[in-house]
Amino acid sequence: MASSSEVRAILDLPSSSLSATPSLPQKKSSAPSARKPDGISRELFSLIGPSSTTLVAQLAKPRLKQKPNLGAGSKIKWEWRPFKNGARTDSLQLNHWTKASADPDAEYPFAKYNVQRPTHTYSQDEYTRHLEDPEWSKEETDYLMDIVNEYDTRWYVVYDRYDYPGGVPRSMEDIKDRYCSVCRKLIRNRPWAGDENSKNALLSSYSFDKEREVLRKRYVASLENRTPEQIAEEEALYMEIKRLEQNERRFKRERDDLLRTIAGIESGLPDVVEDEMHLTGVFSSSDPKRSKKKGGGADVLDSPSTPLISTPRERPRASLPPKNSAYDLQHCITRTEPPAAATSATKAAHQPAYLRSFKLPFPKAAIAQKVTQSLAELGVSHTRLVMPTQANVALLEGLLDATASLVDTKKVVDKVEFDIQVLKNRLGMQGAAKTEETDGGMDGMDVDDGNDADGDADGDGEGEDGRAQSVVSTRSARSRKHNRRSLSISSVDTSATVSTRAGTKRQRRS
Amino acid sequence: MVNYGGDEVSALVIDIGSSSVRAGYAGDDTPKAVIPTTYGYHRAPPDADSAMPDVADPTQAGTGRSSKMYMGQFGPTVWREGMEVSNPLVDGLVHDFEPASALMRHAVEDIMRCNPSDHPILVTEPAWNTPANRERMAEIMFEEFQVPAFYIANTGVLNAFAAGKGSALVIDVGQTMASVTPIVDGFVLRKGLVYSPLPKLVHAHARHILANPNPQRRGIELYPHQLIANKQAVEVGAPPRFTLREDRLKATTDSWRNWYEAREVEEWIQSVAGVLEQGWNDQVAASRPPRQYEFPTGYNSWFAQERYSVGEQFFWHSPQLMASNPNLPKTIPALITESLRACDPELRQVLVGNVVLTGGGSLFAGFGDRLSSELARSFPHVKIHSPGNPVERRYGGWLGGSVLASLGTFHQLWISKEEWAEHGKVIVGQRCK
Repeated sequence: MASSSEVRAILDLPSSSLSATPSLPQKKSSAPSARKPDGISRELFSLIGPSSTTLVAQLAKPRLKQKPNLGAGSKIKWEWRPFKNGARTDSLQLNHWTKASADPDAEYPFAKYNVQRPTHTYSQDEYTRHLEDPEWSKEETDYLMDIVNEYDTRWYVVYDRYDYPGGVPRSMEDIKDRYCSVCRKLIRNRPWAGDENSKNALLSSYSFDKEREVLRKRYVASLENRTPEQIAEEEALYMEIKRLEQNERRFKRERDDLLRTIAGIESGLPDVVEDEMHLTGVFSSSDPKRSKKKGGGADVLDSPSTPLISTPRERPRASLPPKNSAYDLQHCITRTEPPAAATSATKAAHQPAYLRSFKLPFPKAAIAQKVTQSLAELGVSHTRLVMPTQANVALLEGLLDATASLVDTKKVVDKVEFDIQVLKNRLGMQGAAKTEETDGGMDGMDVDDGNDADGDADGDGEGEDGRAQSVVSTRSARSRKHNRRSLSISSVDTSATVSTRAGTKRQRRS
Repeated sequence: MVNYGGDEVSALVIDIGSSSVRAGYAGDDTPKAVIPTTYGYHRAPPDADSAMPDVADPTQAGTGRSSKMYMGQFGPTVWREGMEVSNPLVDGLVHDFEPASALMRHAVEDIMRCNPSDHPILVTEPAWNTPANRERMAEIMFEEFQVPAFYIANTGVLNAFAAGKGSALVIDVGQTMASVTPIVDGFVLRKGLVYSPLPKLVHAHARHILANPNPQRRGIELYPHQLIANKQAVEVGAPPRFTLREDRLKATTDSWRNWYEAREVEEWIQSVAGVLEQGWNDQVAASRPPRQYEFPTGYNSWFAQERYSVGEQFFWHSPQLMASNPNLPKTIPALITESLRACDPELRQVLVGNVVLTGGGSLFAGFGDRLSSELARSFPHVKIHSPGNPVERRYGGWLGGSVLASLGTFHQLWISKEEWAEHGKVIVGQRCK
């Protein structure tokens, strides 16, 4: 329901004096900030609310590039006006076109490009004290300083124009050397206002090594003065060198290949390419058994953390030099032994460098869920360690092992308890039917397969151990498989399994 | 305005060359006035009403020396009875300042129609100009033209500027002089400056080829068309059939006829002559197609191998020629080698990488290609900047002056009238380094 003030707002009427006065200032304040953009209905916009600036920006109509305003708009008045150039010393007034709005007293915009280098001057006293040089008269030095300043230290030009009447011919290096040494001496021997660094920087900007420069120039000149024959010879020599280098490289490569084949990883050759191949191989082979077969050291590859968490029995390696171990200790380097030195230097046998967190221990797939569950009870996540240090990883591995064995043990306990339960039940039944079948246990065993129908129940009941043995032998295939599956399960488990199976069989029959 | 550093103060740029005087506003890309430097004059003031049938000729400018000068488009090229022609320049330098100033005045006042006292004027000079010459030029400008400001700049530097370079090796082939100028940071390296009147030799060689008889033809008569009454079409190589204007012939001065015959030779060079790109080779020269050319007399012929021997003079002189003439002007490769030898070894690579080819003479057919192959033979990294636009090539010096005089930062370099009055001639040498 629109209030009267809203209606007034819609119709663009002046608000009635009494009712609108309290809301008016509020409206005014909000009006400029949230204006309805084009392309959206008012109702929809009012739903959005005032705090949707981003939306407003998106709703703005896309605009074409603004058309150039070719003189259609405001006219600019230009004036032919005299100006004075601040870089000039005289009163020359040239004229140029300027906008009439421009400030007539403003400085000429190009005068600022008239920058002068700081010049070095010296008094007669300073010259006699510091700047005396047997090869240079004061007059010629004066001339030199003048001409260098005149041509802004463009040395090629300075050298070209240098013509001191009656002076000895000077090379460019002579001129440069003299100028730089004069400047250096002046800077060094005068009080310096700034700090030491700026002074040194200035000094180094005037450093000039004449000998070196002359030598360099001579090299450049000799390089240019080569005859075509010399250039051809040089070219030929260069090709020869390239060829020799290539030969040497090939020899080295072949030697390395040979070494690698013979000595394998022990050759100590960097083998980056093969490393990478190995890494990808490990990661791509999802089946751990395969890599187990490939790698000679099965245990090493099976539990991925082992290479890093070197167990104590692995640590004292004979191959490690004592100096190295001390060094390692100092620098927190942990060495992992290469798996089974006896294996040939195949790619799989080589253990490349990897991040410790890449190879966190992982529980066996069969019991992974249970292990994770029990770890979760402890509030530990084995997939992620905040600080996968060596110690932490070792702890985690220990924890995982302990959890795994706990899970196993629990399973066994469960089974045993169940067995006990079953046996107790049977005992109760036997007690009821305990009559004449106390003997003939050995006979029944012989015909076990044949007269299973009758001999089963009594066989089970009368001899605990002997009977169980026979069953194991007859159903060897099945039980062996089971055996394999859980190596840690004790003999108790075997008998229990057998008896359970016997139980089920009987149940099936009955 | 500040973006490109330009600030135009309506300066004028005047570039005086051997063949033409160029004048125009700084900031333009072409000179407004291009007039021949050669002018015609009458030795004694003739009676204006009787001797001159074309009294209304606007190009006549009366000057001192009690003679009448004929300048500009209808100046020396028009036949006039007893008119002598002369050129104020000798070897690229202004030799005779009186006609030179008249030529400049004609270009500025009669053609551009502006008053020199309103405009700063930048004048060019060749790199081998003498201090006395430039001071004289300044004097003319300030005393005669009453310019508010003046500057004299080097054509080599200006050519480099026209090519947009601060350092360059400028190879400038004009009508009379060929020069190689190393420019570093906008300054001429005077030790590396070399020049020779090589184009004159090329011209003389061409004239020799045409005028002298050879087994195939008689010597060619180079009568200008002003002296020919009528002619008939003839077969190729046949002797021309034409009648001369006997009335004009006896009133023609030697200087005018010589000058006009030189123009005919020039015309022939420009349309026919060329240079082989890879050095002289008889087979290549013979394999090139011949070109036909007809002279004003009606004589026409095909020119084959000989047209290439003309251009060869720029780059190579036969040992016999060198032995017979010890003062032979140096060839272009010799000039370049000499110039570079005088430069610092470190600079040579920079210069060779920034070669600027300019001047009307460099428009000679095949010149640029030949030059690049000559340079590539001795330097590994050669880059030649040669504008394809003929105007830029011919008036490169003027163009550079136009660029320079329209720069905002340049205006502090003008020699003002005030400074001239205060310091006198010394200021020219101090300011225009």
